[in-house]
Amino acid sequence: MKDSFVELRARERALALLDAGTARELVGPFDNLISPHLEPQGIVPESDDGVVLMRGQLNGQAALVVAIEGAFQGGGIGEVSGAKIVAALEQALADNKAGKTIYPILVLDTGGVRLQEANYGLLSISEIQNTVVALKQYVPVIGVIPGRVGSFGGMSITAATLSYLITTKKARVGLNGPEVIEQEAGVREFDSSDKDLIWNTLGTTQRAATGIVDEVVTDDIATIKAAVSAAVAERKDSHRTDKADFYLSLLDQLDLDQPLDTQTYRDLYQHVQITKHTIPAAVSGDNPGTKSRGRLWFEALTGIKNAESSVPTVLHADKGGKAFIAITADEHNRFPRVRHGEVGLQEGFSVATIVNDIVAADADKATKRPIVLIVDVPSQAYGYKEELIGIHMSLAAAAVAEAKARQAGHPLIAVAAGDAVSGGFLAFGLQSNRLVVLDDDSITIQAMSKASAARITQRTIAELEAATEHVPAMAYDVKNYQKLGAMYQFVEGIDAWQADDQSVAKLAGIIDDAIASTVDQPTDLHFRYETDIAKASGRVATRRVRQAVADQWAN
Amino acid sequence: MEKLTFEFKTSQPITAPVHVGVVASGDLEVILKPITTNQTTVAVVTGSDGFKTVWGNVLNRFFDRYPISAAIEINDFGATPGVVNLRLTQAMEALA
Repeated sequence: MKDSFVELRARERALALLDAGTARELVGPFDNLISPHLEPQGIVPESDDGVVLMRGQLNGQAALVVAIEGAFQGGGIGEVSGAKIVAALEQALADNKAGKTIYPILVLDTGGVRLQEANYGLLSISEIQNTVVALKQYVPVIGVIPGRVGSFGGMSITAATLSYLITTKKARVGLNGPEVIEQEAGVREFDSSDKDLIWNTLGTTQRAATGIVDEVVTDDIATIKAAVSAAVAERKDSHRTDKADFYLSLLDQLDLDQPLDTQTYRDLYQHVQITKHTIPAAVSGDNPGTKSRGRLWFEALTGIKNAESSVPTVLHADKGGKAFIAITADEHNRFPRVRHGEVGLQEGFSVATIVNDIVAADADKATKRPIVLIVDVPSQAYGYKEELIGIHMSLAAAAVAEAKARQAGHPLIAVAAGDAVSGGFLAFGLQSNRLVVLDDDSITIQAMSKASAARITQRTIAELEAATEHVPAMAYDVKNYQKLGAMYQFVEGIDAWQADDQSVAKLAGIIDDAIASTVDQPTDLHFRYETDIAKASGRVATRRVRQAVADQWAN
Repeated sequence: MEKLTFEFKTSQPITAPVHVGVVASGDLEVILKPITTNQTTVAVVTGSDGFKTVWGNVLNRFFDRYPISAAIEINDFGATPGVVNLRLTQAMEALA
């Protein structure tokens, strides 16, 4: 096809968007910054790790294009590729703060987390989202999803955080790929061999009709450049992550007993009666609720026995001047896909509402209330209705609310008292500026279940487990997670299922220490690059990339 | 995955680095960097094991025709010899 943008590679796409003769690549193929995690797993690396950073001009104005190469490892985000994106966006942020306007443009062609570097992918993606939130105070952050891979996984959450999304008909957008939903929830939930169903659900025609993308244009270089230019010039922003009331109202009006197809959903979407939603603090009730580590520690730390909430899976309450929030299991929930504590549609939008209300209440206060997230999320919800409505929007709403709270000065502390997995963790925990993890073998921290990760990367579970010996980011346990250097504290001697008085007092003390450690410190996520473990081993590649981008940014 | 190294005595130094290609399925990337000697090295990382002889043949033929002096890195994700030759030739075009 003549002048197709979709058929271009990432580097050509970046060049095509920038004015001729103005482009300069940063940390490119000659800089020898490849992923250190692929070769040990027998996977061929790429010299740019699948991300192209290009500075230049867009219609004479300074611009940064970040283009992800979908043809290399499905456009997955690993440590190096993620750090390249974060570092470049942070340089753009610094320039904008200093009054030097530069417009960031993201060309997304990505499956999300690179499963071969799993936990690095999750960390990086949360850092990208944090920087996007900060940048949007100065400039629109425009996204292009041309197509081939589209935008999936954690990077669909990132897509939802962008100001304005331009796509073609060749793209799809969703959180969980159809194969993963089929693996996790069964073929009757989502048949991954039904291409029509997939395109009708996740394709951009449906997505544009339901607020998930903003514009569908012809696959033509000049047309796409014109659309990007217009979005920049008009500072377009669809405020996609500020729609919690809309979606919570939509979910109230959703009849879960009826099947939901694309047309039925469009009708529902167009006729939502929006009401203001607030989530009252949890109160003590008569029923113990579904047992989970999240509930156990929420109740122990707030002193609320048998905590009940208007949203059964989302508990929050203030205690000792701190706001505690937990997402918990609820075996009878009206949404079947969240009954084990997964983060679903209602959970993300509810957390966003709670956090936004905290920020609004403290807007005029000099000292911002600390927010403590009790993390026990086995994953995001895997379901057809979730994808059709756009569960990634819900997770993005929560992540953005948390990032804004932290950037406004609220200490944001995540306590992994249970599992911290995948999109659930991105929405609820990874935006924290201090992460506390219990040293308990029952806790899983990962990007995807072993069965799904094996299916997607076309390896056996045995091969997957063997890879964890070389690459700690591939592992599922907390001891390997500690090696990445992202933790504020790794708490030994507490059983995640035993909230006895001594353990509660100990953990409460650690939370207070974590809060104290944020005083007069930056409100970003840099803490994770600066721990002793991060410096010695956990984020060595990240730090090298950040230095290289800094060195090349101005020259 | 297999790592292979080849060496060639060459005579035509290149002046600027060149990069072509993508590590996509059935494709490869080629990186040429200038060197100051006539001892060209080709470091291949390939996802398809057991093709050392074929690589040797393709590269021999290439250097017979273009005896460039460079440090060459190739990351290959299952490209056929025809595609390898195409990318190498594209790299030569980029040099010109």
